[in-house]
Amino acid sequence: MAEKTYLQAISDGLRQEMRRDRRIFVIGEDVGVYGGAFKVTLGFQEEFGPWRVIDSPLSETAIVGGCTGAAIMGLRPVAEMQFADFISCAWDQLVTVAAKQRYRAGTPVPIVVRLPSGGGFSGGPFHSQNPESSFAHIPGLKVVCPATPEDAKGLLVTAIEDPNPVLYFEHKHLYRRIKADVPDDRYTTPFGQARLHREGDDVSVITWGAMVWTADEAAKQLEGDGISVEVLDLRTLVPWDRKGVLESVRKTSKVLVLHEDTHTGGFGGEIAATIAEEAFEDLDAPVKRITAPDTPVPFSPPLEKAFIPQVEDVATGLRELAEY
Amino acid sequence: MASSTSVTDVVMPQMGVSVSEGTITKWLKQEGEEIAADEPLLEISTDKVDTEVPSPGEGVVQQILVQEGETVDVGTRLAVIGPAGAEAPAPEAPAPEAAALEAAAPEAPAAEPAAAEPEPEQEPAAPPPPPEPPPAAAEPATDGAGEKTFVSPVVARIASEHGVDVAQVPGSGRGGRVTKKDIVAFVESGQAAAPAPAAPEAAPEAPPAEAAAPPAEAPAPPVTAPAQPAPPAPPPEAAPAVSAAAGEEIVPMNAMRRGIAEHMRRSLDTAAHVTTVFEIDLSKVVAIRKKLKPEYEESYGVNLTYLAFIARATIEAIKNWPWVNAEIRGEQIVTKRYVNLGIAVALEGGMGLIVPVIKNAEGLNLLGIARGIVDVADRARNKKLTPDDVQGGTFTITNPGGWGAIIGTPIISQPQVAILDVEALVKRPVVVQDTSGQDVIAIRPMMNLCLSYDHRLVDGAYAAQFMKELRENLESFDEGAY
Amino acid sequence: MTPSKFLVPGVQMAIAREAEPVGSLQEVKEAGLDREDLFGVYRHMLITRGIEERGHILYKQGKIPGSFYTGRGNEAAAVGVATAMSDQDVGTPLHRDMGVHVTRGVEPWRIFAQYMGRADGPTQGRDGNVHMADSRLGLLAMVSHLPAMLPVAVGCALAFRIREERRVAVGWFGEGASARGDCHEAMNFAGVRKLPVVFICDNNQWAYSTPTYLEYATEHVADRAEAYGFEGVVVDGTDVLAVYRESRRAIDKARSGGGPTLIECLTLRMEGHAVHDDAFYVPKDMFERWASNDPIERFRSWLREHAELGDAEEDEITSGVKKILNDALTRAEESPLPDPSSLTDGVFATPEDLDTPHHK
Repeated sequence: MAEKTYLQAISDGLRQEMRRDRRIFVIGEDVGVYGGAFKVTLGFQEEFGPWRVIDSPLSETAIVGGCTGAAIMGLRPVAEMQFADFISCAWDQLVTVAAKQRYRAGTPVPIVVRLPSGGGFSGGPFHSQNPESSFAHIPGLKVVCPATPEDAKGLLVTAIEDPNPVLYFEHKHLYRRIKADVPDDRYTTPFGQARLHREGDDVSVITWGAMVWTADEAAKQLEGDGISVEVLDLRTLVPWDRKGVLESVRKTSKVLVLHEDTHTGGFGGEIAATIAEEAFEDLDAPVKRITAPDTPVPFSPPLEKAFIPQVEDVATGLRELAEY
Repeated sequence: MASSTSVTDVVMPQMGVSVSEGTITKWLKQEGEEIAADEPLLEISTDKVDTEVPSPGEGVVQQILVQEGETVDVGTRLAVIGPAGAEAPAPEAPAPEAAALEAAAPEAPAAEPAAAEPEPEQEPAAPPPPPEPPPAAAEPATDGAGEKTFVSPVVARIASEHGVDVAQVPGSGRGGRVTKKDIVAFVESGQAAAPAPAAPEAAPEAPPAEAAAPPAEAPAPPVTAPAQPAPPAPPPEAAPAVSAAAGEEIVPMNAMRRGIAEHMRRSLDTAAHVTTVFEIDLSKVVAIRKKLKPEYEESYGVNLTYLAFIARATIEAIKNWPWVNAEIRGEQIVTKRYVNLGIAVALEGGMGLIVPVIKNAEGLNLLGIARGIVDVADRARNKKLTPDDVQGGTFTITNPGGWGAIIGTPIISQPQVAILDVEALVKRPVVVQDTSGQDVIAIRPMMNLCLSYDHRLVDGAYAAQFMKELRENLESFDEGAY
Repeated sequence: MTPSKFLVPGVQMAIAREAEPVGSLQEVKEAGLDREDLFGVYRHMLITRGIEERGHILYKQGKIPGSFYTGRGNEAAAVGVATAMSDQDVGTPLHRDMGVHVTRGVEPWRIFAQYMGRADGPTQGRDGNVHMADSRLGLLAMVSHLPAMLPVAVGCALAFRIREERRVAVGWFGEGASARGDCHEAMNFAGVRKLPVVFICDNNQWAYSTPTYLEYATEHVADRAEAYGFEGVVVDGTDVLAVYRESRRAIDKARSGGGPTLIECLTLRMEGHAVHDDAFYVPKDMFERWASNDPIERFRSWLREHAELGDAEEDEITSGVKKILNDALTRAEESPLPDPSSLTDGVFATPEDLDTPHHK
């Protein structure tokens, strides 16, 4: 057990896996010599060599397509998109080839695509997105969003083990901000099982990624006012823990769905609809969503602050719910 | 590949993903000709391409089902190939089910079995009160200030589970709303002592499916659905199947018949039926009609019947004797300033009668009434009546006289209080006064009008005076005045 | 139809190499095929054409749903390349390359079952026409977005390179698909890393109704190979032996670490883009010229002249092929349709699915 940042947990987890299984290799832009734009793979090429830590050309299609072919041939690639935003360049490979091979041809495609996602540091429109929902919509892909260092490692290990294409959204803004104890040994964190981040009785917050911490702060504020807020960290979107969410809803009867991604078509809609369908008689208030608005991610700090849900936004929303 | 002992269908192929139909341009083989497997059998044309279709089987072309020049959907059977020497299959009965449904359509006015939908010739009840929801769910609860507030699903559920009246629970939510916490606390504190209020009986059945159509002969059953919320008896349960004894044939009642049966019985049970009969000398009407009939036909295309005259005269009489056009509701008498005149129309084949209504007939003159009668009769016979056409009647005229009856005792159509039966027009010898005041015998066209009325409201004297006026209207019919 | 017609005088450096035709049986032996092998090649070509002709009829009889594509005219290119692959090599053939599936050992009845959407087709009815492959035979199922399988083929080669295996990946694409970015990214990556992959361009002159000069601006698609750092070759796609020889060279080169090659096989798409297309836009005389170069007829003549193919042997081959196809069709027609209750099965793989020859 050692205290690690979110980034260190990812890096150590990956390294551990690559030591354990020679089939695993890393490929992406600047992951080798440079150690990755965020230094997740710092020192990897020295240890594993240039054919297991591959500096690819600037070619997301070649990266993802290459991983697909290599995975079909028995290797376990872990690709890195330099920014999650660039996944759109490889959309076709993911959605057309990787997602559908198992269903159509019985051929599994065990790949992991690591996606540094999220904003909060003036990254602008193309370095700050959370493009999770459009992929959650494609049958055949799995979507994973750790919020804590412990889950970051465990979910990565599970992702590498999983015989399906897994999109692993690691939130850039958590890389160095969040520290926690992470077990040294190898462990897996199951997909489709939410983590109770904070227990409460009055209102439930269903969220993931960096928003877990925003919700946490808001919950602390409300505690001072005598309102008990439950925060449920979904951890994975495909599959997602329906049962866990509905249990929390039945307990508090008031629920807020919170995500950093934009509003329309965001994954929160799926969760809200499911709650309305399956827990209608347990609701004491409408299902509320707090999300980013339907705009590209703006650059200038006051704009970005208005874009990304802040602690005050969440606290206000929770209070409204509590008072309903 | 079809073997030579089986029959094979030839179908229109789909030549391209977006193609949905094809046209036969040429049959390369005719019925009776031999064909080998894969040999070109016909040529087709589609949006995308023209091509030959190779035969899927070998043998003989038994049947060609679609002709050259016809366009059909992909997958349609075009031909049948059979082994040489086999008989052609019997031609498929063209959609027999569709045909049967068509045949059933004439029943349409009443054919549907007891369903919640109003039938065209019925007058559906006023919408039945909504089924009583679990206490407090749909009904707005009130807080102390008497305002209506919203009850959320979970509160409604908990309230119904524990038999709690949400109105009794103090609310701490927005606007005084009862929150989940509030009701849970209430329940746990033991205040939810009252037993669940008995849920009222399930709502009366939505318009009963009787299709009370007056039959042709004497007891003319009225034809409305009840307006009162009193639950009407639902159509009787089908009796357990009884086997026919020798000489018997058993056929279940259809919905229309069931409806008539129910309504007749109920009407007799409701009203205090009395019938009075008046003889009317229609000579004046006959003369006027003779004169006007060709004119009406030529100028207006309207057939002028005796019924039109009678209807017109009746409406005039109703003005002075409004209670025959009224309604009893409980212990209240409801008179109406309008006359929605129901006219009984016989359906073909003795299948029953339907009574469409001429709305606001009080505003129509002779021509208007004549036209109205022709219109509803036509539409009734051609099954073009809408539910609105058979609702809201205030007085009904039925006309079995065409068959020769001279007296009838019609049954009132609820909730009306009277019904007028028009009997046969018969030339009779009658006693009249000649110019010098002497009694002589003359031959006059005579018609009996029989009024059944509800003695709860209309007394004999009233009815008689109404009929007297009606007679006077007819015997002194002045075409100028009408 | 010899490729020399396309030679632009004086600009030798930028041009893809033009392949020489194969002459005698001796040359063929040197290239690695003996007489029996040659008859096998011929048989594969006949089966390929037979499957597609029969499928064409089935489609017009309404027995095959959706759309139907053939590679008529491409038999030599497909069979020629596939014959040059070893068992351990893998490939991503496309819809004109039925010959690859046949040569690699996919059973004809399963191909018919695939066409007809039956449960025993390689995709169990989940995908149609040639969107199939048997990964146990080293083939990957194509997708409609072309040439999306090229980066995947390069990925296979990447795996071989990482594991230092002497295996080669072969990726097919058409001259139309060469216009998309996937083609560039795949070749660039392969060239940069000198991966053991061979790129085969089926240049059949028409991408649906679009002719070659509206798809690329160079003389040959193979001219682009130079831009990626490897050799490009143009070969007469109707000459199965020439195709074989060039493929052999390229595959051997890749296997020994020499990096990729781009082979452009010139053929004509002898039918429409699909059965529903009557190819009115192709000049009639073009069809006539290429028809006189029918690859199967060409090879048959060559076998009769250079390999002493006699009447008896030929009849034996022909009737053998016919029987295979008839039996295959019967078996496929009798096989069941998929059960709708299985619709949502298998969207995701389970760990058991990883038990493939490739994941050892």
